[in-house]
Amino acid sequence: MTIGARARTKGGAPTLPLLELHALTKAFRGLVAVQDVNAVLESGEIVGLIGPNGAGKTTLFNLISGLHRPTQGRILLDGREITALPPYARSLLGIGRTFQIVRPFAMTVLENVMVPILARDGNPTRAKDAAQEILELVALDRAANERPENLTLAMRKRLEVARALATRPKLLLLDEVLAGLNPTEVEQQLPLIRVLRDKGITVLMIEHIVDAVMSVCDRVLVMDQGHLIADGSPGEVVRNPAVIQAYLGEEVPGA
Amino acid sequence: MKRQRVAAVLAGAAAVLLPVFVRSQFALDMAILTLFYVGLTAAWNLVTFSGRLSLGHAAFFGLGAYTATLLFVRAGIPPVIGAAVAVVVSLLGGLLMVLVMVRLRGPFFTLASIAFAEVLQLVATHWRSLTDGSVGLHIPFRPGWQNLTFTSKEPYYYIALALAVLSVWLGHRLYHSSTGYFLRAASSDEEACQALGVNIKRAQAAALLWSAGMTGLLGVFYAYFIYVIEPTTFFSMELFSLQPALNGIIGGVGTVWGPVLGALVMTPLGEYLRTFLGAMQQGLHFLVYGLVLLVIVRVLPGGFMSIITGVRARNDDRGSGANERGRSYTAAS
Repeated sequence: MTIGARARTKGGAPTLPLLELHALTKAFRGLVAVQDVNAVLESGEIVGLIGPNGAGKTTLFNLISGLHRPTQGRILLDGREITALPPYARSLLGIGRTFQIVRPFAMTVLENVMVPILARDGNPTRAKDAAQEILELVALDRAANERPENLTLAMRKRLEVARALATRPKLLLLDEVLAGLNPTEVEQQLPLIRVLRDKGITVLMIEHIVDAVMSVCDRVLVMDQGHLIADGSPGEVVRNPAVIQAYLGEEVPGA
Repeated sequence: MKRQRVAAVLAGAAAVLLPVFVRSQFALDMAILTLFYVGLTAAWNLVTFSGRLSLGHAAFFGLGAYTATLLFVRAGIPPVIGAAVAVVVSLLGGLLMVLVMVRLRGPFFTLASIAFAEVLQLVATHWRSLTDGSVGLHIPFRPGWQNLTFTSKEPYYYIALALAVLSVWLGHRLYHSSTGYFLRAASSDEEACQALGVNIKRAQAAALLWSAGMTGLLGVFYAYFIYVIEPTTFFSMELFSLQPALNGIIGGVGTVWGPVLGALVMTPLGEYLRTFLGAMQQGLHFLVYGLVLLVIVRVLPGGFMSIITGVRARNDDRGSGANERGRSYTAAS
């Protein structure tokens, strides 16, 4: 099943989608975490990925970023097959990601951001300057020499984003960068996602905070029990009966 | 910064001049052994940058020592060329361990590294036609630079010093290179590291190969220092796998200078205890050495380096930079 996935055109000429997932399936022994998922991301879109716990969202991220190999199916980036590439090669081709549970390295904030830059240009002096610029973008520049364990959760989430940004991604996979934050912090974090749009980065974000998804996403994909059950604008998706059923369960007749 | 440079120059001058003032053969022997262990520990330490613990470095040590000695004894090839070939053979051994390292993590890699060295020891013991088995090989005593054999201790001292400096310098260069950043990042989280575009296997392989080559070179030195090589000594887990690891852990793994400190303290300590307590009551020196180890690990779990970095962190806290926590996100608005 291919939902949505209309090839948009820019200036009349058809453009290649940035990311294509074809019949993607991942099984862990008996458990099928992702089943037959087809989806397309166009360049410049901000797409939300929602679904109940255990729906397979993070597994899908792991498939796209290369941490898991799919059991079946193909992944294309810019029309190029990347299904068999290791994670670091996919990162170098432009797929950046954050982890749901932040995973800072035991080094300073600045050094954390230098790592992905050095993977592209091995000069530490230049990397230091470039990392400083990215830290300014996410307002962590004044914490550059701190150790991540001394930062607040909101700041560590921004460090996670900064590190992913430093990979100069075409496609950024954000795994719950708003989770665990209080409403004020969420408000403060949202502009960051709009900055990504301004930079022309395509974003696929897993998020549970529905207000946030509604306010920043162009399109929303919904997963349930490994299947992609809906793909459409935020407004369409929340009215979709399959989505409502996935979240609230089936109505009991006569109850 | 300036004070550090002055200290380095003074330490260097003291190291160079030491044989001029120290005439005691025992003290000079101990200085040579200490420098040798500084080199060995620093070489071993390269692998720890990425959080890996090898307890099989005796493999590279023995490979290096046997290669150079066999070439000299069996084919008359001079030790300088023999040392170059020995490094290559150690690197080949390193490649084998790389194959293991990319497949196994944590304690599984450590166990495999032990097995690797033990297997080589068995090969050296049983391949009698090549190695003369446990009888071992003797390096003929023909003094001269071309044979790396000397009648006095001083040349050995300077060679050990040069090797120690080379080994520490390798660590310093690696630590501050881009590969060093990758390794340190991977010691926290290999998956996150790869997701950022780092080919971490390549970085880890590079570190292990530098480590293996340097360890092999030190094996060559040690063979020529004691003239006799046989499998139980030169593939000794205790002497060349555990001792560098112990020095490194005591000094502070994952740092450049911690293992140097560890070797500088633990080698003379071990030797003094063995010399003076070993004669009193068998095993007494092990008891004391063990107690000292326990106390150090208990009081300083991060090693000697944690004293230095701890002091530095406290000084930094007094300056600016520490008060930036909790600043809200405003850049994009």
